[in-house]
Amino acid sequence: MVATGTWITQPVAFTSYQVTLGRIALVGLVALGLTAVILMGELDLSVASTLAVAGVVMASIDNLALGIIAALVVGLLIGAANAFLVVVVGINSFIATLGMLFLLRGLAFVISDEEPVRLSNIDAGISFGKPLIGEFTPRILLFIFTFIVMHLFLTRVRVGREFYAVGGNRQAARDAGIPVRRRIFTGFMISGLVAAGSGVINALERTAADPTAGSTVLLSSFAAAIVGGILLNGGRGSVFGTLLGATSLGILQVALTLSVVQVDVQNIIIGSVLFIAVISDPNSIRAVSGSVRSFLRGGSVLSKPSVDPKEATNNG
Amino acid sequence: MDVVDESDALPEDPSRTGDAIIEARGIVKRFGGAVAVDSVSMAVPPGEIHGLVGENGAGKSTLMRVLAGILSPDRGAVVVDGEELKAGDTRAALEAGIALVHQELSLVEEMTVAENILLGSTPTRAGLIKTGELKRIAAEALDEIGVSVDLDEPIGRLSVALRQFVEIARAVARKPRVLILDEPTATLTPTETDYLLDMLQRLSRRGLAIIYISHRIPEIFRICDRVTVLRDGRHVDTAAISDTRPQDLVDQMVGRQLALDLQTHRVPAEPGAVVLQARGIRAPGVDGVDLEVRAGEIVGLGGLVGAGRTELVRAIIGADLRSAGEVTVAAGGRTRRVAGIRAAVAGGLAYVPEERRTDGLALTMTVAENVALPNRGRLSRSGVLLFRKIADFALGLARTVGLRPPEIRREVGDFSGGNQQKVVLAKWLGRRPDVVVLDEPTRGVDVGAKVEIHRLVKDLADGGAAVLMVSSDLPELLELSDVIHILRDGRIVGTLTAEEADEKLVMSLASGEATVAA
Ligand SMILES: Nc1ncnc2c1ncn2[C@@H]1O[C@H](COP(=O)(O)OP(=O)(O)OP(=O)(O)O)[C@@H](O)[C@H]1O
Ligand SMILES: [Mg+2]
Repeated sequence: MVATGTWITQPVAFTSYQVTLGRIALVGLVALGLTAVILMGELDLSVASTLAVAGVVMASIDNLALGIIAALVVGLLIGAANAFLVVVVGINSFIATLGMLFLLRGLAFVISDEEPVRLSNIDAGISFGKPLIGEFTPRILLFIFTFIVMHLFLTRVRVGREFYAVGGNRQAARDAGIPVRRRIFTGFMISGLVAAGSGVINALERTAADPTAGSTVLLSSFAAAIVGGILLNGGRGSVFGTLLGATSLGILQVALTLSVVQVDVQNIIIGSVLFIAVISDPNSIRAVSGSVRSFLRGGSVLSKPSVDPKEATNNG
Repeated sequence: MDVVDESDALPEDPSRTGDAIIEARGIVKRFGGAVAVDSVSMAVPPGEIHGLVGENGAGKSTLMRVLAGILSPDRGAVVVDGEELKAGDTRAALEAGIALVHQELSLVEEMTVAENILLGSTPTRAGLIKTGELKRIAAEALDEIGVSVDLDEPIGRLSVALRQFVEIARAVARKPRVLILDEPTATLTPTETDYLLDMLQRLSRRGLAIIYISHRIPEIFRICDRVTVLRDGRHVDTAAISDTRPQDLVDQMVGRQLALDLQTHRVPAEPGAVVLQARGIRAPGVDGVDLEVRAGEIVGLGGLVGAGRTELVRAIIGADLRSAGEVTVAAGGRTRRVAGIRAAVAGGLAYVPEERRTDGLALTMTVAENVALPNRGRLSRSGVLLFRKIADFALGLARTVGLRPPEIRREVGDFSGGNQQKVVLAKWLGRRPDVVVLDEPTRGVDVGAKVEIHRLVKDLADGGAAVLMVSSDLPELLELSDVIHILRDGRIVGTLTAEEADEKLVMSLASGEATVAA
């Protein structure tokens, strides 16, 4: 919907699709990892900081391959630390990962000495930014690859499929013998790994790791997942939806930028799109129209006409 | 029946212990300071259906959750085939062949029927789900219990009764050796209940050990071989069903003499003016219904699950949207149209919904807070809640409905299932409503409390309230109703007065075997 609208008003977004794809891939990749966590009814606010830390860790190591591996391991460890706080210590994931957000951002500054760290192997970075197959840069290919892997994981792999049970009815999952804690660990580690991967890609493309990298990615990636129809309470959503969300937001953003719309106005528009997407979700549209109607008739907005209460409170 | 002293921790019948497939040995389970299960032992051999009865809060569900490894006991052990089970390990219990059908539905709404049936034991190869195998096993399990549902349908779209059967299919799919059912018939109609009981007998003949919890004494006598009574977390007695009389069982459960024959039909006062009037109601599942309820009258709605009774009452009170029809409430000299439920409630209507956990209660709030919710006006001064008043009010209601334990500062979610139902009732009864709409008011409520609740409903009607009640419990429907409308496919297919109605007539109308000019 958003995409077609944009296409009519701003064909240039499609002619410069490389930029557009790059933007989609940046936000979308992080959002794909987030999807795993949100499906279980948890949040991960630390993704953007993870991205920054992974970047500077990689850039601080001279050997490129070693640096990449170190960065990804850091991502996994951060995910595990988040999960530890949530599952073992028992802190609400919003708070736990909010703490991590600050902690890791600080850490990124400390490691990098508050300066962007240049890659020692600049050539690798430059060639990484070049199209590999057709017009697709490695970043876009990696995004597509991650999408496919995540899609298969959440639909075909038992562990991934059980994420839906953990988010949809945690007690039922527990009673059925699903190791809920282990699933939550897996989810956070996926999110951490994917965020770190984004950090690596970012640093490679820019041939330097910036400790402030990714600060706009956090909220955009949440927005992408939400526009994609995920339920923050868990149990409903898909990576396909997240892909659509990231795509439409990415196209919109590039189009707005190209038509020289100011950033603050852009934000207003993106915010409105978020509302429209959530309200026009077929599952919540009935709830919303019902509530509005009964509100106008003097009835209660709190009574949720014929829709599962979970949905109404979330989307309505 | 001979009451043997059961205070020692051994099962009373040593000859049975040897071949018992599952054994609870001196199980103790505390929640905070309160003891929910107090050194209970029981043993069940293969092929036996073992009844487990007791009042709400007696500890039945807690004991079963210990057996299924969901709770780990403070003391005691679960022994399967002579081997002690690892405490509080759900997987170990499942692998030992123990399957539990929970009192509260425990399905994942977004997942399909097939996925739910094999939740936690999805067949895989190298981590990948074997979809064909998944569906085959799920279909087999549904076949085994003789229920047909679309395997790819998300659970969220099924009726409560069908969900119950999916839960049972899930237990059966695990090829258990011990099947535990915690009040499985609470959400079922008589026909479905019959079906389930026959099915359990069939399963037990194949050597399955079954533990069966129910508040419906006739069911216990129909299928159980032995029965264990719990009271206040303690083991009272275990006896062969052939040595037991229903009255004994009830006396043991409540620990005093309870006159069951008090449950007689009230003599209704001359019914007053029409209070609730519904005309031409149409809504999803409801196909043009007219009905009226007079002051002081109890109108019952009978029918099979899926006949549209819940949909009808929800459309009448404005909880769900109607596509057509008009509803008026005439009370206090005023006639108003019922549009939305909030306005209806403000106008003196009380509604006790079918699904208490999602619709009726705030589970993380205390009993006092919950019962105060619809009575805020009376319990506050200039918008400020008066806590003393709330406490007195809540305590009074807790006594009226027989809440156990009567602790009004406890979170509702920590009460046993039947006691949660009592809180829902208490919440509304406190208002002295003009119109009372009850959907399965005594589901999961024990015999003693049921008598109490029935008395409350009769009192309400005697006090002039117009009562509209959905009930799948035939004796209850017959005992309370002055008029019974039978629904089928969203329409009223028969109307019976209290004198005309009997179980057979209601059932044959409901199933469509008989017809009566409505
Ligand atoms: N999670 C919990 N936390 C605190 N107390 C609990 C919890 N679960 C159960 N209890 C308490 O333990 C006691 C036994 O409850 P249980 O659910 O086993 O009763 P029950 O016999 O199954 O009753 P019902 O017939 O109503 O289902 C009750 O007093 C209940 O309030
Ligand atoms: Mg129970």
